[in-house]
Amino acid sequence: MSANLFPMHYSEEVGIADGACSETTPGTLDSRALDDSLRVPVLSLFGNALHWLIISALIAVVLSIKLVIPGFLGGISFFSYGRLAPIAWDLFLYGWAAQAALAAGIWLTVRLAGTPLSDQKKNPIWATLQSTLLVSATILWNLAILLGSLAILAGYSTGVEWLEYPNWASGALFASFLMIGIWAVLLFDRRINERAEVAQWYLVAGFCSFPWIYGTANLLLTWKPLQASAQGPVLAWFSGSFPVLSLLPISLAALYALLPRMKKEHLHRRSLAPLGFWAVLLLGGWSGVTNLLGSPVPAWMSASGVVCGVLFLIPTLIIAINLLGISRQGEKQPKSVSFGFLRNGLYALITVGAVTAFCSVPDVSGALRFTGVTDAKIQLLLIGAVSFPLFGVLYEAVPQLLGRESWCPSLSEQHYWLTLIGFWSLIGGLLLGGLFTGLALNDPTVSFLNITSYAFPFHVMEVVARILLFVAATVLGFNITRAFAGDYLFPKRS
Amino acid sequence: MVAYPALQMGRLTPVTNADLGTTFPPVYGGEAVAGQRVYASEGCVYCHSQQVRQTSFTRSDIERGWGVRPSVARDYLRDSTAFLGSRRLGEDLSNVGQRLSDASWHYRHLYAPASVSEGSIMPSYANLFTVHKIEGQRSVDALELDGDFAPKAGYEVVPTADAKNLVAYLLSLRHDYPLPEAGSVTNAPATPAN
Repeated sequence: MSANLFPMHYSEEVGIADGACSETTPGTLDSRALDDSLRVPVLSLFGNALHWLIISALIAVVLSIKLVIPGFLGGISFFSYGRLAPIAWDLFLYGWAAQAALAAGIWLTVRLAGTPLSDQKKNPIWATLQSTLLVSATILWNLAILLGSLAILAGYSTGVEWLEYPNWASGALFASFLMIGIWAVLLFDRRINERAEVAQWYLVAGFCSFPWIYGTANLLLTWKPLQASAQGPVLAWFSGSFPVLSLLPISLAALYALLPRMKKEHLHRRSLAPLGFWAVLLLGGWSGVTNLLGSPVPAWMSASGVVCGVLFLIPTLIIAINLLGISRQGEKQPKSVSFGFLRNGLYALITVGAVTAFCSVPDVSGALRFTGVTDAKIQLLLIGAVSFPLFGVLYEAVPQLLGRESWCPSLSEQHYWLTLIGFWSLIGGLLLGGLFTGLALNDPTVSFLNITSYAFPFHVMEVVARILLFVAATVLGFNITRAFAGDYLFPKRS
Repeated sequence: MVAYPALQMGRLTPVTNADLGTTFPPVYGGEAVAGQRVYASEGCVYCHSQQVRQTSFTRSDIERGWGVRPSVARDYLRDSTAFLGSRRLGEDLSNVGQRLSDASWHYRHLYAPASVSEGSIMPSYANLFTVHKIEGQRSVDALELDGDFAPKAGYEVVPTADAKNLVAYLLSLRHDYPLPEAGSVTNAPATPAN
């Protein structure tokens, strides 16, 4: 794990020659100088992201139990389903996913650009200023999430899905993202490789699209809301664009940057990658409107959404062509948890593409839209395609940044398997439950209470899956705390 | 995709119906406006949609009695937020004011959902009510609850202002008035809601 994955002479067309992946390879950048510039911002972003992941996973357990036992923690406003649900979503989206994407994005940008975030020796004042700004932005980001979540709990939600934080909190999130993301974009310009890698395209796309999408959606829906008759299409655009254009590109960058390097292979059919990149950008904006059939939106929008949902198979196919061959089992298969998460992230992404296309078909969309199938699609994207590659980066970056092999390998393995089992159980339960309830919803002779009773076993399945995911997140949190605290809290047995 | 709604759908205006001598969509009453805030803060949108669909692929909403016509963008003109929703863990509420027009049913449903809908998985919103000892005469707002759901003897359950506002909002949810783009309305009372 400590071997340098980013030697200078890596090429997407050729890969890495055997033996090139070592710290002593001639031409390799001084990875220690790069790590020194990254350590504080990346570790603080990853560390804070993990706290929110654990809390959101715990709230998700409570929410899933409430669907099985409606009276669970009932009658108390702070524990009501309607107040906890937005908190769980927002903690996952902005506390975990966006923050971990920032951490992973900055680490990947610096490593791929081969340029330190700031150079303490050459320009100490500028470096200190930059470091202070990054840490301040991280504190502001996490304060906004904490106070915004407490405000939702106290009944001050905006009521707009995924944008529930009060305006002062969403404004603070927007500002702190700009304060952090701008350095990554500036670094792209200072990269030492003349020809940008595919991963670098995705990094720039992700960093640029977050403020655009989050800012536009907040402006039109919460800061200075449009007339409500026009809010539906904007919310649909945001709910698809935000995960696909702001979060997924960072995870795709991780896949494109790390998978070939770990296997010491070149990208398969690299010439297709530009088409895949632009297809993700063009179709990603439409990914939220792929199943709006019959909704109060313009007919052209729901019709185009159907087409775009099916067309999303194109970038999915290209990404699969580029990377699937590399990730398959083989002689040079790395035995790391990081590689496992990256590979499963790719599988989840391919599944997302297939499910999106399937759910865009009018007959299917009409029946399954408001069921667990839609939720399964979102979880496939957010936990699988987005979070798994972020875990992959975390397992690669954090030990390097800590400068010591402090991970407990068995805990890493436990986190990996608990996450995988929990994730696929969750997706399985949601898909099956969604299919049953969707078919029943489409039959007006079946009463709604009967439909609810059909869904019961799948809600139980969700409880089990959510508990597994919570335990997995806690294991990762314990492992990283152990690595941070080192020998002080967990002395090695002699 | 963002510019079009902002420019065109954001400029929709109410429609005056000369035959009925009124304007649609109707204006919400003050309690209902406050009730929208409660609907947002209590997170009702995470389980309930507010859109009736009718295409060749999605006919069941109307057959189920959730509405008399498909929802159109103009229906949301008077709302501060369009609570379209993405899941149906509970029933669609676009026309709940037309389907279930008894306020006392809504109060009992919010306080103890199973008291009026056995087998419902809706959580209790008892936090929107106060349970207090009856002093003198029983409150006119007190809920009529039976069996396990009734408070102990000498006590009564009374809705708070938030509960009253939320129920006023729910009762005002009815997209059963005629609009030119929504086509003809059948079985509709075609009277403005409060």
